[in-house]
Amino acid sequence: MIKAKNRMGLIFFPAYDWAISPTHPEREERLLYTQDQLREEGIFDIDGLVEYKPDIATEEDVMRLHFCFPDVASVTTESHMISAGGAIKAARIVMEGQVDRAFALVRPPGHHAMKSVHGNRGFCNINNEAIMIEYIRDTYGVKKVAVVDTDCHHGDGSQDIYWNDPNVLYISIHQDGRTLYPGSGHVDELGGPNAAGKTINIPLPPETSDEGILYAIDEMVLPILKDFKPELIVNSAGQDNHYTDPITNMNFSAQGYARLNEKLSPDIAVLEGGYSIQGALPYVNLGIILAMAGVDYSHVREPDYNAASLRQDPRIMDYIKKLKNVVLDAYKDPPRYEGLPPYGEFMTRKKNIFYDTDGIRESQVESILRCRECSGLFSLETHSTVCSLSLGIEIPLGACPACRKEGVKLLNGAKKSGKYETIQVIDRVKKEYYRA
Amino acid sequence: MAKSDLFLGLDVGGTHTDAVLINDKGIVAHYKAVTDHDNLLLSVRSAIEKVSGEAERKNIRRINLSTTLSTNAIVENKLEDVCVIISSGPGIDPEQFRIGKYYYAVSGSIDHRGKEVRGVDAAAISRIVAEAASKKVRTFAAVTKFSTRNPDQENVIAGEAAEKSDFITLGHKLSGQLGFPRRVVTAYFNSAVWRIYNGFADAIDACLKELGISAEVNVLKADGGTMPFSLSRGVPVETILSGPAASVMGIAALCDITQDCIVLDIGGTTTDIAIFAGGVPLIEKDGISLQDYPTLVRSLRTRSIGVGGDSVIRASAKGVTVGPDRKGPAMAAGGKEPALVDALNARGIISYMDVKKSRDGIAALAKKKNMTPQKLADAAIDTAVAAIRADVDAMLEDINNRPVYTIHEMLEGAKLAPKKLYVMGGPAGAFKEKLTEAFGVPVVLPKNFEVANAIGAALARTTIDIELFADTGRGELLIPNIGVRQKVPSTYTLKEAERDVRAHLAAHLKGLGLSVSEADTEIIESSSFNMVNDFYSAGKDIRVKCQIKPGVIKRLL
Repeated sequence: MIKAKNRMGLIFFPAYDWAISPTHPEREERLLYTQDQLREEGIFDIDGLVEYKPDIATEEDVMRLHFCFPDVASVTTESHMISAGGAIKAARIVMEGQVDRAFALVRPPGHHAMKSVHGNRGFCNINNEAIMIEYIRDTYGVKKVAVVDTDCHHGDGSQDIYWNDPNVLYISIHQDGRTLYPGSGHVDELGGPNAAGKTINIPLPPETSDEGILYAIDEMVLPILKDFKPELIVNSAGQDNHYTDPITNMNFSAQGYARLNEKLSPDIAVLEGGYSIQGALPYVNLGIILAMAGVDYSHVREPDYNAASLRQDPRIMDYIKKLKNVVLDAYKDPPRYEGLPPYGEFMTRKKNIFYDTDGIRESQVESILRCRECSGLFSLETHSTVCSLSLGIEIPLGACPACRKEGVKLLNGAKKSGKYETIQVIDRVKKEYYRA
Repeated sequence: MAKSDLFLGLDVGGTHTDAVLINDKGIVAHYKAVTDHDNLLLSVRSAIEKVSGEAERKNIRRINLSTTLSTNAIVENKLEDVCVIISSGPGIDPEQFRIGKYYYAVSGSIDHRGKEVRGVDAAAISRIVAEAASKKVRTFAAVTKFSTRNPDQENVIAGEAAEKSDFITLGHKLSGQLGFPRRVVTAYFNSAVWRIYNGFADAIDACLKELGISAEVNVLKADGGTMPFSLSRGVPVETILSGPAASVMGIAALCDITQDCIVLDIGGTTTDIAIFAGGVPLIEKDGISLQDYPTLVRSLRTRSIGVGGDSVIRASAKGVTVGPDRKGPAMAAGGKEPALVDALNARGIISYMDVKKSRDGIAALAKKKNMTPQKLADAAIDTAVAAIRADVDAMLEDINNRPVYTIHEMLEGAKLAPKKLYVMGGPAGAFKEKLTEAFGVPVVLPKNFEVANAIGAALARTTIDIELFADTGRGELLIPNIGVRQKVPSTYTLKEAERDVRAHLAAHLKGLGLSVSEADTEIIESSSFNMVNDFYSAGKDIRVKCQIKPGVIKRLL
């Protein structure tokens, strides 16, 4: 019997009865062939590897960080709550010491879901990793968390959620936004004024292969993690950098994914995208699971793997080497946001969001109170093609008394004004999340 | 059954051999003896002779036998050398699954769809077969990854080995279930016990003939069902670890079980736990493990804990413990250290052999720990009951928390809630009151539970499970373990697959001379996925699992 070096928990939830639409990439059998491969390989008989049933996330778990308009039930299905619950389960078994590491192999994905949710964008409604991380921070008192997002698409939802949070480092490695959905994730997107340098983007050129991606891990991600010293590393484990993925243009392999995971050594991995469901996912997932469990994965290979045809253009490597300096400099010396409103005043930014899956257009005005004591009172005014003007107010984790007081004032004023259809409140200090 | 018909159940267990003769009214005779470990045939023969008279033997219609022969051969490593030839393709290094002295991995690969990615190297196989032959290895096992989706490569290996082998196990014939490492182990064990099992089977056949018995003969499997004796000659591995299943099926025959319940078999060394859901014993999800080797052999879901009548009692600062080991027999039976039975004796709950010795033993231990004998004995009994309760709870929790893969099951999945506890085994009666208290459900001691194992063997019905896999894009349907492979049209549906799988199962059993109607078959899993290649529909992936579930042909109430 094979013995795992690391006690490993696997939360496998393929949602065989849920799809966005019949031929959509996010459909019923997405993880069917992965399950076949895992069963045939005898993964579940590895000593030290245990399969767990997901939890079901509660509305409170979602409302702890998202502003859902008009409410949670309107923008989610049971499937989303189970997928997020799968991530929560992964966190629980790791934090409670039942396993050393856990992989939530769940669908649908979540990393395109932003702070404000009006519907589905990029196949995502609610952000599984963020829901999990906030559950962890509330339940176990963990402070510093790093998210390394290795999905081929920029995790603009996760970036949006943690934009102002100095205690969550968000690093995304992805295909350059100039060539792929959602178009964001450029090197100069580095976090808000209270969290500058705590968002890091590593956009890689199309056709980057194992060599380039692993270089980015070794030379950029690992040094930054070493400096940040997170208590917990979470991997948003998208599998669409694979050379067979139908909707992206990268050349990563199953071996590459396994090695990436071994180098990164995340405490928790959560599946994101990956739509080459026959040619990639069975092998990529096998590689990731073996690497996380500390079992030899050297024989894991795609049936059609051909090293020669995936060899990287030398110009790509030159580009990535130059990118290294830019990224590391940006982390060490992030923008200072000079010329901003003074402390004690609100700073605002406007955003227009397009929900590609649901065809919704949203306009947001985001305000953050510049604060020396905490990450600052946050509010978000939003309206969209499906929702009239609404407001979200967040008193952040560890908010100072002034920001808490200001939050109450803001809420009372908003209620009195009568101009908002819905007001969502997140009070992380009192742990109260409600629709006012 | 006709009035004069007799059924004979035989359980040749590790310690005892039990036999029971049953007619249409109930038990006619039963017999128990110590098993002659080195001559199981003799144990079988004398059990038949003692339990039935010459006149009765002519009326025996059915003999069901549960035997430890294959289990013992594996546990005691009395195994024949087997040449194991595998092809694994990419995945976990096949070296990790090396088993036996002659294990060869050849090139060749089949993917999860059953598509051959790389052909198997026939020349290399031929060389391996020749090498094995030169070492006088005459039994083979052929296992390839995903052979349940495409058995071609196993068949090629079989073809190459045909002339130089007495027997070859093909992985896909063992089970339709995925699990390459389990397939390797199961195929290896099957070939390794094949000769010794067939020798035994020949001897049994000869013995029955001598005794003038011309009955249908079946063997018991670990899943609580039987298979025809003749068929078991090709899959002797299916006969491993059938003992606990015999007892569980005995309870099913002795009691009218219709709901969720727990079955406990309290023995000298251990307590075995089984669970019934809606009156049917639960099956282990993947297959039973033997000596730390997970196999594909289907079995009842049972769990064993180190609490039995002879479990030793210890007292320390932390409290009183019972088991998990035993130090010889209880003091009442001449042992040196107090055991659970002694505690029951000391409290006057039972009166087993030398009660005084029990009392003295308990008193001596109590004195050392500054306790009253009564308190020590009570603590021991309570600890034992609490340990059983905790293990049952853990087992129920495992079952109720088993992973599921659809939203429907996540939200609507039924939870087990046992309504009754059935207890058998030597000290069972002594625990009735305590167990009732601990579990809060009625506790039943079935009559005749001393021979439940032999009764279970006698009355268990045939079980089998098959898995249909159809790919309408490729236009093929497979039921690997019963050798069905046929074309299907692109319009083939799940409904047709469900109909066909039942029909194939019934036809297969009819071919074995078993009268089973399609109504006895049960679909346990059924799914159909639309396959999509690059946004275009590429046919359906249809999977249907069908079984005849464990049950008894007759109840003795």
